[in-house]
Amino acid sequence: MPGWQALNEEIAKFGATVVTVALDIDPALAKPWNDLANPNHPSLVDTLHITNSLFGFTNIPMAAWIDEDGNLVRPAEGASIERSPLRDMEIPEGLPEQLNKMMHAVKAIPDDGEAYREAILDWVQKGSTSAFALTPGEVIARSQPRSDNEARATACFELGEYFHRTGENETAVKWWKEAHRLHPQNLTYKRQAWTLVTTPAGATEYDLMQGPNEVYDSNLVDEVTGEGGFGQFIIRPRL
Amino acid sequence: MILTELRTTAEAFAHATDWYPKPEGLCRGEVCVPAPGALSSDGMIDVAVAAQKLGMPIVQDIEHGVWALGSATLSGKSLSTAVAADPELKTFDGTPFKLSSLRGKKVVLVAWSSY
Repeated sequence: MPGWQALNEEIAKFGATVVTVALDIDPALAKPWNDLANPNHPSLVDTLHITNSLFGFTNIPMAAWIDEDGNLVRPAEGASIERSPLRDMEIPEGLPEQLNKMMHAVKAIPDDGEAYREAILDWVQKGSTSAFALTPGEVIARSQPRSDNEARATACFELGEYFHRTGENETAVKWWKEAHRLHPQNLTYKRQAWTLVTTPAGATEYDLMQGPNEVYDSNLVDEVTGEGGFGQFIIRPRL
Repeated sequence: MILTELRTTAEAFAHATDWYPKPEGLCRGEVCVPAPGALSSDGMIDVAVAAQKLGMPIVQDIEHGVWALGSATLSGKSLSTAVAADPELKTFDGTPFKLSSLRGKKVVLVAWSSY
């Protein structure tokens, strides 16, 4: 969030703004992070993950670009804009196994941050003449596949949210498992569900490790490492 | 979109799906899909008809009598038009916010989460 806040200040003079949207079923857990950043750009919450359906967000961070007339000029794609300090950190010896695996997986995340940030700066200054602004046909063609299974997954995730909100947690889990099965590449569906069962009751922050649990067959570290790393879930920007 | 019956108002349908009933059919941006039978004279949408026309799966939780409407699959892509969807989201203090309020500006819409 601080990186996006800084970018927003940089692009405001070109008539552009960052809008952040938190894909969080419980806004109360995202709010402290939001308040810490104290954003001066629109900062929104999407409790239903409806932006997954409407824009194609399947992971975070992802971004889509919208021009002055409300037209997309780039579809949802991976959107890091700065190099995580974790990537350059020496991994200490003797870490617990899951944490060690997580650290190695994070360090191996493809780094498109600098190029993506430069592309944004180019677009906000040049508009439609920017090499990074796509035509409507290109935007649609480059958006992610949406098969019947993937569309069905959006419905299943929403059923899970509905039953979670109405206190039917076992039913919520059933539908979230189905969403995971139908759209295995959607990491936000999985991480949202895992974190709800691995975060201790009363915690003020989510459990970021989202480790092995008795509710779901999978968990963050094992899933990511089993699939070949975080990169398998990242829609890298084609710049 | 969560439903307790397969009929809803056109307004609610548009609010949830970003597909709007127009004389040409159900429309989003420049894309309009003829949908005879989807809109009745009382302004209600037959969700089963609309969903079939737009390629939206309907998933039912039989035990609880609840349906959810999946996203459109018209183009086989997550986008069927480059016109940006305009869902009603909320700020952290609960104030409704629509991306269309930012017309005239370039917008970088960024998804993040706290988990």
